[in-house]
Amino acid sequence: MDLKTLCGIHAPSGDEKRLRRAILEEARKLCGEENVRIDRMGNVLCHKKGTEVGRPHVCVSAHMDEVGFIILSATDDGLLQFRPIGSIDPRVVVSKRVLVGEDLLPGVIGALAIHLQTREDRERVLGYDNLYIDIGAKDKDEALGKCPPGTYAYFDTPYTPFGDGFVCAKALDDRVGCYNLLQLMQSGYPGDVTFCFVTQEEVGLRGSIGAAFTVRPDVCINLEGTAANDLGDVERRDEVCCAGQGVAVSFMDRSSVYQRKLFKKLLALADAGDIPHQVKRGVTGSNDAANYQRAAGGALACTLSVPCRYIHSGASVCCLDDIDAQYRLTRAFLLNA
Amino acid sequence: MRTEDFLREAAALPGLSGNEQAVARYIADAFRPFCDEVRIDSLNSVIAHIEGRGPKVMICAHLDEIGLMVSRIEEDGALRMRNVGGVDPRILPGMRVTVHGKETLPGVIGAKAPHLLTEAERKKNYDRDDLFIDLGMSADHVKELVQVGDLVQLEGGFTKLLNGRCAGKTMDDRSCVAIMLRAAEALQRMDTRADLYFVASCQEEVGGYGAMTAGYGVAPDFGIVLDVTHARTPGAPALEVCDLDSPAAAMGPYIHPLLRKKLVEVAKEINVKLQDEVMPRDTSTDTDDLNAVRGGVPCILLELPVKYMHTSVELLDMHALTECARLLAAYLAAIEDSWRDELWI
Repeated sequence: MDLKTLCGIHAPSGDEKRLRRAILEEARKLCGEENVRIDRMGNVLCHKKGTEVGRPHVCVSAHMDEVGFIILSATDDGLLQFRPIGSIDPRVVVSKRVLVGEDLLPGVIGALAIHLQTREDRERVLGYDNLYIDIGAKDKDEALGKCPPGTYAYFDTPYTPFGDGFVCAKALDDRVGCYNLLQLMQSGYPGDVTFCFVTQEEVGLRGSIGAAFTVRPDVCINLEGTAANDLGDVERRDEVCCAGQGVAVSFMDRSSVYQRKLFKKLLALADAGDIPHQVKRGVTGSNDAANYQRAAGGALACTLSVPCRYIHSGASVCCLDDIDAQYRLTRAFLLNA
Repeated sequence: MRTEDFLREAAALPGLSGNEQAVARYIADAFRPFCDEVRIDSLNSVIAHIEGRGPKVMICAHLDEIGLMVSRIEEDGALRMRNVGGVDPRILPGMRVTVHGKETLPGVIGAKAPHLLTEAERKKNYDRDDLFIDLGMSADHVKELVQVGDLVQLEGGFTKLLNGRCAGKTMDDRSCVAIMLRAAEALQRMDTRADLYFVASCQEEVGGYGAMTAGYGVAPDFGIVLDVTHARTPGAPALEVCDLDSPAAAMGPYIHPLLRKKLVEVAKEINVKLQDEVMPRDTSTDTDDLNAVRGGVPCILLELPVKYMHTSVELLDMHALTECARLLAAYLAAIEDSWRDELWI
């Protein structure tokens, strides 16, 4: 399945059904029906038996869910009131298009016209209490009839390749990881490998709690998209990782301190295989690796990330070569683990 | 052509104030089947003529749009920008754009990542100077294809919503160009005396210069300006907004009272719901400029309410648009020679 298709499927945390179905179908083809299961958190776990004995059991994990929105209520004028699913800076949603609910009803997020704004309006960030999705409904009843409380809404952004091998799309975090998992599943490896497509990462790393407990790997390689901060004359000290400079290998982030042994092994493999890579220069962000590292008796864990600009917006940007580098380094590890 | 198709196609075309060639050509072609003569003047206004022997009337809606211009290329290839017209900087973070450099380049507007902002910065909107355009290219490649002064068009989507409502870029004021087009088409089947000049004017968003210059050329007896006005949205001052679902007619010193009175009469006759909008001073539309052309042009201002003006999701009600076109056509057909003599007595 290509990245465009994966990004085009709407799956905010807790509403991953569409993507789960698409991945399930693909995974059954690649791993065999009997080796694919859905656990009680909605994760898709796919096992590939190794060709040799005595190798560690490796889990490669990526999260299916993306950031999005959920409807709370509606105003008398028929505007939908909503909250973000996952962390979305409210400043990036003004004047953007969305789709609401199962039927993908089109909507827009408007804002008070500039002509009518006071000086204070211009300065103050419009928070989620003052942002609305407009689906064209005439009143509250019509709006809530079409979109009752709890209805999910999604960014509506076309997948757009641009520039020198870059792409602008929604949900690159973490469809890049899902894409590479599906690529990696196309071949076999010396050791046992479990590929985990997990749910609810964006709302507190929930899905991987269950997956880690069920799979209990020896080693976890977590494939992510992480915030790049490299454009617009950013101070060098503030760069976390740079799009176009390879897969980012983490030594630590907000949720884990990764085992040095594994970190060094990954860097050595990247050097040996001439795989473009960079050390993530910042300890920002939390991710699923934490749960794998700490489940049951513990595991070795590390996170390999594709640098992603404007992450958690409707228009995130990645470099296609970095996605390939994430694939190559993970594959090198699986062949050598 | 269906109005919806016209809006969708016109919204996608670039036409930033001062550089309206592409959208002007498209609009000229759209008027051609209904008019005796269509031309584009030296500033990019489209002038479409339906000949008549009565009073000369100029109907005017602007075709230009707000957008951005590249003001600086940073060392790393990020582009800084300035406004062309009144773009609200609040809509820009995460906005997809097209940069018209040596090639047509897709880009996206980025901002400093939230985790690098101080607590105080997080509570403030981004300043336009904090934002940049990302072309997904090396700095060298950017410098090869882009130069300072290149135009940047905002995302041009068009979205159909419930109840015949739709949202898109440049509904201000291409929705009113669509109204003129519908009226011109309807007039094929109606008797008119008036000598009609439909003008899709350029450079309204930077100051009414298209209406001013086209008005000089046309030298009309009366002017009918069409533009969008604000429909009610949360936070809007109650006295300065209209309902979304029907056209409005401005009133105040810049509007000629007799021509307006006749508009209200026609609306009543053909059952078009018409809202009043009081404008105590200038109207911030082409009216202000057309009104002062040559020795003066008595004007009325007919308005289509939209929500979220000057964003990329300007939202209108298609029923209000078609009613506005029906009213305009009936009004143009009602114009008599005697109106010229009645104006000031």
